Amino acid sequence: MGFSAAPGGGPVCACCAEPAVIYQPVQKRHLCGTHIVRDVEARVASTIREAGQIHAGDRIAVGLSGGKDSTALLVILSRLLPSWPGAGLVAITVDEGIAGYRADTIRAAETLTGRLGVEHRIVSFCDLIGDDLDTLLTGREAQACTICGILRKKALTDAARAAGATAIATGHNLDDEAQSVLMNVLRGDLPRLIRNTGTGQSAAFLPRIKPLAAIPEKEIAVYLFVQGLFSVLPECPYTNYALRAGVRTMLAGFENLHPGTMQHLVESKKIIERYCAGTPVMGHLHRCRECGDPCSGDLCQVCRLRHSLGK
Amino acid sequence: MAAPGYLCAGDANLLPATMNVILPDQGIRVMEHGPGTVGTLLQELGINPLEVIVSRNGKLVPEQTVIGGNDQIRIIRIAHGG
Repeated sequence: MGFSAAPGGGPVCACCAEPAVIYQPVQKRHLCGTHIVRDVEARVASTIREAGQIHAGDRIAVGLSGGKDSTALLVILSRLLPSWPGAGLVAITVDEGIAGYRADTIRAAETLTGRLGVEHRIVSFCDLIGDDLDTLLTGREAQACTICGILRKKALTDAARAAGATAIATGHNLDDEAQSVLMNVLRGDLPRLIRNTGTGQSAAFLPRIKPLAAIPEKEIAVYLFVQGLFSVLPECPYTNYALRAGVRTMLAGFENLHPGTMQHLVESKKIIERYCAGTPVMGHLHRCRECGDPCSGDLCQVCRLRHSLGK
Repeated sequence: MAAPGYLCAGDANLLPATMNVILPDQGIRVMEHGPGTVGTLLQELGINPLEVIVSRNGKLVPEQTVIGGNDQIRIIRIAHGG
């Protein structure tokens, strides 16, 4: 692979003569700090426009854990928002109650929202279900991500509704999306594979948008680093229990050897989605007989979980 | 001219170069590394370049960057999630 070298022995940006900070294997080019920031923001703006994710007057609830992805998302949305007249942001942090992990990221979230002047609300699992996640998981560690995912989604949705939001934005990146596709295939879960929550086609759902879905995880880290916004934060202690951890390592290995693998997986999902549109595999929407929330069966996941936890 | 077996100051480039490499777990390794790239260093360490970002003397650099000499290299793991 040939590239121009900067005086310090490094390649230079494909758009200017500055030293490069990242190589994009799919685009086959190097970019400097200024141009990776422009590039990431332009691609996010394009994702939002193409999918019609934000409209004038919207109030977007941003799920802000304080980690790198949601930090990048809030920074980018706060810069892009003037494109949609009357649109506003509210950041929502869910405190699951994970000792040695969540306190640092909540502090980071508070600092960021203060700096950006964005309204910030914090909700907790204790408020939602009466216990923190560490307590709920005693003896059930292997189910950590399933239990946490169900409760976090509920906490975020309730808080977004309470804040008067018209959509929920989450910081899922390209790596997350590709991992989810492969995990759903490995589980044989076709309905979940093709579920599209981005449109809010049913009035029962708040649309969930993923503006970073086309951006690789590494580019998000670099985007933050070059702007002095990258912090080394702890990783969730329950990560290693998840199927995702193995899928993540495997997919990153493939992507390194065969650039574009993750993008191809996500594109495959979209093709399957189109083929399945309107077919019985999509399932019908029901109302939970206990709480009335929309769900695919008789009871929603949260109420089923409450029963299994004795709550 | 130095006596056989000794190096003088002007021969510094003949000395084995030692780089300080700060690993993702904050451990420090002093490595002898001839002219090579960030990519080859990560390969030697068994690290997937997609899972880390790397700085040389405080500045972020891509995998194709040539490193060596007395460079200070920091490898930062990109924590999943957030």
